[in-house]
Amino acid sequence: MSRIIDAKGKACPMPVIMAKEAITAGEESFTVLVDNTTAVGNLQRLAGNQGYDAAVTEDNGVYSLSFTKNGQAPCEAPAAAPAAPAGAGYAVFVGRDIIGSGDRELGTNLMRMFFYTLAQSDDLPRSILFMNAGVKLPAGDEQVVEHLKVLMEKGVEVLVCGTCLNFYGIADRLGAGTVSNMYDILSQMQAASKVITL
Amino acid sequence: MDYCVITFSSTNGAIQAQKDLKGQLPFQIMPVLREISRGCGISVRFAPEHLEQARSILAGSGLDAGEYAFYGISGHGPALQAQPLDQAG
Repeated sequence: MSRIIDAKGKACPMPVIMAKEAITAGEESFTVLVDNTTAVGNLQRLAGNQGYDAAVTEDNGVYSLSFTKNGQAPCEAPAAAPAAPAGAGYAVFVGRDIIGSGDRELGTNLMRMFFYTLAQSDDLPRSILFMNAGVKLPAGDEQVVEHLKVLMEKGVEVLVCGTCLNFYGIADRLGAGTVSNMYDILSQMQAASKVITL
Repeated sequence: MDYCVITFSSTNGAIQAQKDLKGQLPFQIMPVLREISRGCGISVRFAPEHLEQARSILAGSGLDAGEYAFYGISGHGPALQAQPLDQAG
């Protein structure tokens, strides 16, 4: 009855895609096997968003997540809701490590000042999404990391593309934010009333 | 005084100063406050206890004294006050 989805050895975001397919197919109970903690975190967030419980057990480095529909309505909003009032709010998408094109040093300064100013602002985004070279900011720029911590304390969700962190070999340097995947990042864009792209 | 900022007469001066200050004292960069609103848009923010150290580093840098200015900042929002800190202060 309960299907087992073997996603061991699959790189992000494949385990989430495979689980999402089962959810879309209406399966109320299934098990996903993965072999890394990033996938476990991503799958747990997927379960929470889709109205499933996901009990985790570990055996010899293999994590088994047992998905069970819990009857609650699917909820796209994260548990720690942004401080922004009701309404879709806005998201900030950061696809590069400097602002604009031109001088890198100037662009680095502009990016740091952007996050300084955003952290002091009253009108906060619901989420900040880092991809490609943008992930070098939460995983390497001390000043940006400090500003992101302030923003997270105020309820802003900070998602950092795990594929990108792995590509640049800097996953161990992440100073702020949650390692995430295309599903969560796209969901945040779709849920926002506007997306500001840097 | 809550914190100090240094403003610069040019963007290049602001970038050069960061190189001089890096590793010497903790600082952040921020846009120049509207209450000061002169000079270049990049300013350097640091804690008041590092004021004399920052002064001496910049005095020994390639920047002329006329290329930067120190301010003491108190409060925030409408109550924010920016006080120029001259060499004597």
